Amino acid sequence: MTTTYLAPTITREEDGRPASPVPAPKEVDVRPGPALLNGIEHGPSLAAHRAQYGPIPHLDSKQLHALVKRVQMRGRGGAAFPFAIKLETVLKGSRPILVVNMSEGELASAKDHALALTRPHLVLDGVVATAKALRSRKVHVVLPGERPAAAAAMKRAIAERRDGVNIYTTTAASRFVAGQAKAVVELLSGRPNLPATSWAPEAVKGLKGRPTLLSNGETWARVGLLVLRGAEEYMSIGTPEEPGATLLTMNMPGSVPIVFEAAYGDRLRDYIPQDRHGLPAMVGGFHGAWATWETLASARVSVNKMRAMGNALGAGLVLSSPECPVTLTARTVEYLAGQSAQRCGPCFNGLPALAKEVTAVHDGHGGLERIEQLANLVVRRGACAHPDGTVRLVNSMLSTFAHEVEAHAKGGCTLKHGSRKLVGDSFNRILEVA
Amino acid sequence: MAQVLRVDWPSCEARGLCHEVLPELVDLDEWGYPIVKGPVTKELMDHAKEAVKVCPRLALRIVEGR
Repeated sequence: MTTTYLAPTITREEDGRPASPVPAPKEVDVRPGPALLNGIEHGPSLAAHRAQYGPIPHLDSKQLHALVKRVQMRGRGGAAFPFAIKLETVLKGSRPILVVNMSEGELASAKDHALALTRPHLVLDGVVATAKALRSRKVHVVLPGERPAAAAAMKRAIAERRDGVNIYTTTAASRFVAGQAKAVVELLSGRPNLPATSWAPEAVKGLKGRPTLLSNGETWARVGLLVLRGAEEYMSIGTPEEPGATLLTMNMPGSVPIVFEAAYGDRLRDYIPQDRHGLPAMVGGFHGAWATWETLASARVSVNKMRAMGNALGAGLVLSSPECPVTLTARTVEYLAGQSAQRCGPCFNGLPALAKEVTAVHDGHGGLERIEQLANLVVRRGACAHPDGTVRLVNSMLSTFAHEVEAHAKGGCTLKHGSRKLVGDSFNRILEVA
Repeated sequence: MAQVLRVDWPSCEARGLCHEVLPELVDLDEWGYPIVKGPVTKELMDHAKEAVKVCPRLALRIVEGR
């Protein structure tokens, strides 16, 4: 067994912060799908969009609410929050402000990026139909800071429209936490694009103290499709418990990320390329959790079923890498520590300490007790859930790859830090040998 | 719903006065930031209000919650 160690390679940005283990995608491979991504070959223009879907039917707020409730629409930003509840909350106030959050601060994800490139008018139809139903005249579209092509595509699409609704665009900061709801409200309020303490939900008291209906690009596109095509068509795919479809980003570092649209209930493995079968994956992104191949192979694309398995679909991101998962986790936690907004003491003290300890575990001399101690010190002690998400990833690494962590402690990574190309189920066999 | 102390984390600068006034409910972590140990009981309410008042960063509130 080898005792030579390669420290996890941390590349750094110009400002000294650790770079993301996965860079912002320059291009996205968008595959045709059964709902939002049906007909993308006709291009993203307004003319092509109207030819496919026709004009936006007029709805009042009651009709809109009945529709989203009937199809059990849930947010696609990661928390799967019921959209009908958000809508009910803003309807208690007057003239809410609507926000389309396309910042996608999770660089490994590319689904809103994909929608900007292929389906900008479905996103905009969703928010415009809602604005009209709620008699709201102001819509903000938050553009990603690190994806210039997606931002330009949204701007082009907005320039094509004449809806009688004022659509304002703002560009998010290049930071992992910039897309967090309260951070977006801060940005739109003219303050730094960073999380702040939220004393009330945005839907109750958001921008300028007014009820604010904030959702990501995919959620608004689903609303758009529902309004244009009706509940029957929306529910014609998926399962009775979870009707419809959802976007998945398959990210394999080193290649162009692929965005698929899966119907709820589909087998997750059918969206994982053959040459990655047998490998574990990070599901739900950098704030998500590791899953072994056995878990991935039996998983369904389902918010409820994945929760029951202890994983979360999150924003639909599957990150597959042949690199040793302990190494990739260490690099990811270093990056996440550097992405702290530096505002909350437990986060800006605790995450670098946690990163150091995870790297120490990787190097074979880290203390698991110290990791547990630090995890307890950062969880639920900040303005946003950045520390909580980081701890979730670390804990899932420890529980999913206990053998591998042990192998590191004994002085040998069974995977030699990704120098070995993993094929088929060799990863699991290696783990058994370890 | 119980009355709980909630920290406005971006405002908190680990001055530690909350711990001095209310050690029954507030510990300090290794960096000096407050660790709230439990809900505010009736007996401790006056002390909790005092802790909120003396915070030089106005970073502590008593809110409904758990």
